[in-house]
Amino acid sequence: MTTATLTPRPKTKVEPTMPGAYAGKLLRVDLTKRKCWAEPWSPADMRDWIGGAGLGAMILYRETARGKGNVSWDHPDNRLVLATGPLAGLPVWGTGALTVVTIGAMTNGPTSTQANGFFGANLKYSGYDAIVIQGQSRDWVYLYINDDQVELRNAKSLLGKDTWETQDALNRDVGMGGHHLSVYAIGPAGENLVRFAAIHGDYGHVASKNGCGAVMGKKKLKAVAIVRGTQALRANDPRGVVQAADDVAHDLKTDPSAKSLYEWGTLPGVANLGKMGVLPIKNYTTNVPYDDLTKWEAPKLRQGFDHRGHQCNACGMHHCHMAVVQSGRYKGVMVDEPEYEGWSGAGWTLGATDKEGVAWLNTQIDRACVDVNEFGWLCGWVMEGVEKGWITPKQLGFDLKWGDIQGANRLLQMVNRREGFGDLLAEGVKLAAEKLGGAARDSAIYTMQGASPRGHDHRGRWDEMLDTCTGSTGTLESGVPVHVAELGLPTRINPFNGVEVATQVVGIRGRRHFEDSIGICIFTGRTRLENLCRAIEAATGHTYTVKDAMRMGQRTAAVFRAVRLRCGIGVDREKPSTRYGSTPHDGPAKGQAVSAQWEKMVDTWYAGVGYDRKSGKPLPATLKALGLDWLAKDLWGSKA
Amino acid sequence: MKVLKLIPERCTGCLRCELACSYMQTGVFQPSKSVIRVSPFEGHTSYAPYTCTQCAEGWCMTACPVGAITINAAGAKDVLDDKCVGCKLCTVACPYGTMFYDGSTRKAFKCNLCGGDPACAHACPTAAIEYVDTDTVDWIGDFAAQRFDTVLAMEGAR
Repeated sequence: MTTATLTPRPKTKVEPTMPGAYAGKLLRVDLTKRKCWAEPWSPADMRDWIGGAGLGAMILYRETARGKGNVSWDHPDNRLVLATGPLAGLPVWGTGALTVVTIGAMTNGPTSTQANGFFGANLKYSGYDAIVIQGQSRDWVYLYINDDQVELRNAKSLLGKDTWETQDALNRDVGMGGHHLSVYAIGPAGENLVRFAAIHGDYGHVASKNGCGAVMGKKKLKAVAIVRGTQALRANDPRGVVQAADDVAHDLKTDPSAKSLYEWGTLPGVANLGKMGVLPIKNYTTNVPYDDLTKWEAPKLRQGFDHRGHQCNACGMHHCHMAVVQSGRYKGVMVDEPEYEGWSGAGWTLGATDKEGVAWLNTQIDRACVDVNEFGWLCGWVMEGVEKGWITPKQLGFDLKWGDIQGANRLLQMVNRREGFGDLLAEGVKLAAEKLGGAARDSAIYTMQGASPRGHDHRGRWDEMLDTCTGSTGTLESGVPVHVAELGLPTRINPFNGVEVATQVVGIRGRRHFEDSIGICIFTGRTRLENLCRAIEAATGHTYTVKDAMRMGQRTAAVFRAVRLRCGIGVDREKPSTRYGSTPHDGPAKGQAVSAQWEKMVDTWYAGVGYDRKSGKPLPATLKALGLDWLAKDLWGSKA
Repeated sequence: MKVLKLIPERCTGCLRCELACSYMQTGVFQPSKSVIRVSPFEGHTSYAPYTCTQCAEGWCMTACPVGAITINAAGAKDVLDDKCVGCKLCTVACPYGTMFYDGSTRKAFKCNLCGGDPACAHACPTAAIEYVDTDTVDWIGDFAAQRFDTVLAMEGAR
């Protein structure tokens, strides 16, 4: 037996080969020039930025600079990136996802906001990993994609239609139904540049944050319609993908962090968060539920509706439902079952008790197409204003009391069309409240960046308040604290200890951007990161450890931060509004004052993430540790 | 004989069966090459999978002029690629619309029960597809009729 000696390999440069599971091309669309073209993207970029949020962040960084600043949300050079990732179109649960990345209208800074359905899968089967839209069209158009047939078509007949009507009309025009055609569209709100307009797709899925619908409206792009393409996705190790998919499914069905989602979707949040003081009630005027919470437990929320499963691509989570109201005023009406955010934004924030009414209003919000969270903060604020007299029924044009569902819809339609007082309200609660000033300003819920918090009472959930305020995407940025032991974090913290909270937010930072880059839903992403890494490795052939995944997310966060600073959104705006950061005077979180610990929390956060507390810039050492030497040079020049 | 029993009431329209089928049949994820197809009913609110019932009549076998359709070990009608000349007569003969033609290979293709271990039944997260020993029937006829009636009623109500 001889012993082989290892000889050093010759030092030749090996060109990276195309990883598996990618379509390999970006679809570029210039609306000003009315041109569409396919552009290959490099295996090196795929390795570094994966897709989705990572790819979108890099496109914003490379393509939206203007002098030392950045283009604004309504500038033709703003990019609207509809990107998916390597898992999209594969049999891992919840892989129809797309991530919308743009300079958003609410903060006039970057955003990354995710939605599901079939769009991501259809896009991949058509041969593209992402659509990158630039320019502004003269006339209203929609983008039609059927494999290699890519057309900008006249959208005049779709104008004024809500999102469901738009999808119905396109289904009819193209002669398709079901999931053969995926449509993401804006409603009247986006057409009228309502600042918190959203983009809705496939009956019930919404990319809702930071006014991405207004960006689409400004570009005069009514919809993107993609036929379920015919092309093949070749995974590096297809059997490995199937095995990883099975492991993900097992985790989601059995692990306590996801099991209730599997069984009941996000519905249990209403009663559970209500008990913790995290349910937003009547515009934060109280922390005490005004209705018996046992009536709002998940099974009760499904009573009174004829439910039908309405799943996203390849997903067994069965948490999305269409429902038909069985009795009362809305009998026979088809609604999209509200997520937790719908029950809070269209329900508890407004003081509503009529569950069928809340479900109906939530669907109207999706159809008109605005962010349900922001609408909740806006409408609840108006209701409080009318009660307290700093907004008058005369100003509004009608009386609006707590719990008035029809009145809330009337307000929604005024905002959609920017009619009367609705024109001011269409600017979002921050700008409207600052305009009115005084008690009106002090009663509104927003971050000083202009972003809308999620549908919680964050005075009882400081981690999300900190994340929303310090983030660079106009919404939650860091991640969901699930499987934190995998990241070496403690499994329990004191939610009212600012240092512990900030340390946790730092520790999970990166997870969300990673999830939003690989093409998976936020809910099916609640498996262990290790499973997602194995799925990515089987799909692409690129090895990812948990550490690599978090690092990738942190790199993406650093790029978003650089774009945000370029947009002029500095450290001074990283705080909650007066009401948002106030102390609950009753309920389970009574007396817990986030304001008393705020500075310490932010200091801890800055020290943890390795960003400069004064300028907000990621420190050169942080960037170099992330392999972003070029960004250190861009941000710090010779000091890098 | 074991056949694919389709239970449309359980289907949530995730199309995972199509993906699993295309991988088993072609080695890549390409739902357009799947031999199980999910159809929408009532617009976009209910779905049902459909594939070859392995019917006793075997219309496809009868129609094939070159004897390219045979019965495999699992009892499924299967296309022999080296015999198929791509004339498409089988696709016309099949009354259920479950014979397909692949323009890239110029061959007919259909469900062959994955040789006795159907991938779609494994993949379905809601058990809307089962592989069981039972008489084969028209699994979705009643479902389709009922859902169509609902649509007509709703149209009438408008």
